[in-house]
Amino acid sequence: MRRGTLQYCVLALLEGEERYGFDLVRALAEIDGMVTSEGTIYPLLSRLRRDGLVESTWRESPSGPPRRYYRITESGRTALGAFRKEWSRFRAAVDSVVEGRHGT
Amino acid sequence: MKSAGDRLVQQYLKGLQRELSDLPRARTLEIVDEIESHIAEARAGLEGDDEAEVRSILDRLGDPSDIAADARARFGLARRESGVLEVFALIGLLVGGLIIPVVGWFVGVALLWGSRAWTTREKLLGTLVVPGGLATSFFLLVYAMSASVYSESCAGEISPVTGRVQETCGDESSVGWGLLALGVLVFMFVAPVVTTAYLGLRLKRPVRSRVAPLAP
Repeated sequence: MRRGTLQYCVLALLEGEERYGFDLVRALAEIDGMVTSEGTIYPLLSRLRRDGLVESTWRESPSGPPRRYYRITESGRTALGAFRKEWSRFRAAVDSVVEGRHGT
Repeated sequence: MKSAGDRLVQQYLKGLQRELSDLPRARTLEIVDEIESHIAEARAGLEGDDEAEVRSILDRLGDPSDIAADARARFGLARRESGVLEVFALIGLLVGGLIIPVVGWFVGVALLWGSRAWTTREKLLGTLVVPGGLATSFFLLVYAMSASVYSESCAGEISPVTGRVQETCGDESSVGWGLLALGVLVFMFVAPVVTTAYLGLRLKRPVRSRVAPLAP
């Protein structure tokens, strides 16, 4: 489940601002239990880019070589919006069962 | 001058590139490139740059084989595996045509191209060297022997027209052709065996690599 939801967390983090890989990984690492091996974010970003959910541009860095910045696309926003609806329905359903409110 | 940290990073990236080799080349390069930048950014933020710090950066990134497994799942690829079908493919290519004439070799080719264990270049090699496998070689051997028997018998043939012995089959140039034919025959037997052995060895390529344990 983590693999399926992680991509939407990445999209959500890119919603407000564009970020480069290391910055994105640092933001995800602050959320407990989200990422077990940081390296797996990069295949994910590559896949999101191939699917057109994010796009990237190179920008000069104040220190060191240029960085690849990722930005959410229109279809990325659409996918994230659909996931938000799905997720809140799913969360409500799981809560109702797990917390014993189901059928009482 | 390379530090111990540089060597660790280089070793890590090399392992990663090898593990990711199932993915399309552009994807592999993109991922390795991004992870290389990640390591550089993380090291730039360090106070010092000792070996232990570099190791903890690499640990947080994760084992190359785990990253590759995740990448394969993301891109919907199965792990490069070799099993019974690959063994049958090799048997089919080499001697399939001897077991079931013609059809056996085609079965080998179908299994070869259906497998994920080999690259396209290796599959082409397996198909083209040599079409038909050893069956072709044996066919050529039998053909060459019958041809040479014929040429010996025809050397003593007496022409019914002139009454003389015809020497058309025994002239000097045939020695050269004979050597050439022998060379081709040897090649025809050696090449399929070498190709099969090579494809077999490629099945055993390393799929796991780890950063070497910390030296005491």
